[in-house]
Amino acid sequence: MEILRTQSSKLSTPIHKGSVWAFVVISFLGFLDATFLTAEHYLGPLLGCPIFGGCDKVLISPYSAVGGIPVAMFGAVYYLTVFILGVAYFDTGRARILRFAANLTPLGLIASLWFLYLQLFVIKALCFYCIISLLTSTLLFVLGLIIRSRFGADMT
Amino acid sequence: MEKKIKRILFWFGIIVLVGGAVFGMIKLAGRASMSQTALLANAISASDWIQGNKDSRVFLVEYSDFQCPACKIFYSFLKDIEGKYGDRLQLVYRHFPLSQHANAMLAAQAAEAAGKQGKFWEMHDKIFEGQNTWASQGKSDAEKTFTSYAQSSGLNTDQFKKDLSSNEIKVKIENDYKGGIKSGVNATPTFFLNGKKLPPPTSYGDFENTIVQAINANP
Repeated sequence: MEILRTQSSKLSTPIHKGSVWAFVVISFLGFLDATFLTAEHYLGPLLGCPIFGGCDKVLISPYSAVGGIPVAMFGAVYYLTVFILGVAYFDTGRARILRFAANLTPLGLIASLWFLYLQLFVIKALCFYCIISLLTSTLLFVLGLIIRSRFGADMT
Repeated sequence: MEKKIKRILFWFGIIVLVGGAVFGMIKLAGRASMSQTALLANAISASDWIQGNKDSRVFLVEYSDFQCPACKIFYSFLKDIEGKYGDRLQLVYRHFPLSQHANAMLAAQAAEAAGKQGKFWEMHDKIFEGQNTWASQGKSDAEKTFTSYAQSSGLNTDQFKKDLSSNEIKVKIENDYKGGIKSGVNATPTFFLNGKKLPPPTSYGDFENTIVQAINANP
């Protein structure tokens, strides 16, 4: 087993192990949050509208689903992909896998910023769990930048 | 060989972790977010809106918000329940307009104003059926929509408009709301069956079963 082995020869500077751990843990937290929101999307209407909050307003808005699929599910797939790639890096030590995961993070950030815009200016209600997702996707983006900065320009 | 087993165990652990996380989140989303032991604080009174058999010993009290999408879903469930078991239970509607729903209070006032002219339930139905229309409207447009419902129900619209903003109606709705708070209502719809708070039903079948059991226990 090659857990935690890195191909540092292909990197301009070694990747700090803590950054990769943080990357994996945060992507898992994002996955938990997005999975919860997906489950809420399907189970929520029967559970009702809570006394405080805008989550119901956000989650039932037409922007909460694309083609009948809740956007939270896309989020869950995104976070799971990043998580699995992070774990695969720990398993194989292949820096390319980590770089690929880091390259995905701008997508998550752009999606989260778009949802923030919708919540603030279109739906006019903020959903706590969506804000958590904005936080995790921002952190992943920053960690992705750190990880990418460790790679040499020739690394693909 | 040992390396291979370690890798298999490692990935097996990851699969279990992800599977467990999905299961846990589904459970969390579907859990009873409300206490199930709470009791109805305010007994049924003459000021309540009641459908069904008023002599029945089975009574289902609903705390509801006209603008809540879940309440609209339960509105159709309750229509069905009333059709099937209306002769064996009492259905009570109480207002619990949530602050995040801009037109919920106005909708409750419209139902009460119609009630003043003996058409509470008719207006109640129209409001739920038209939820998608008025929920996204501004206050004055929503008021026009409710007035058009009053007109189509054959109500005196001048009187309706007067009652719509009457203090008496606002106080009645607030009393319903306060009674809900006292009974531990923290989401809509919340149901009390024979005074006991029901856990949030997970399906119509589940909801119907609970009611049928109560009916059978109180013939």
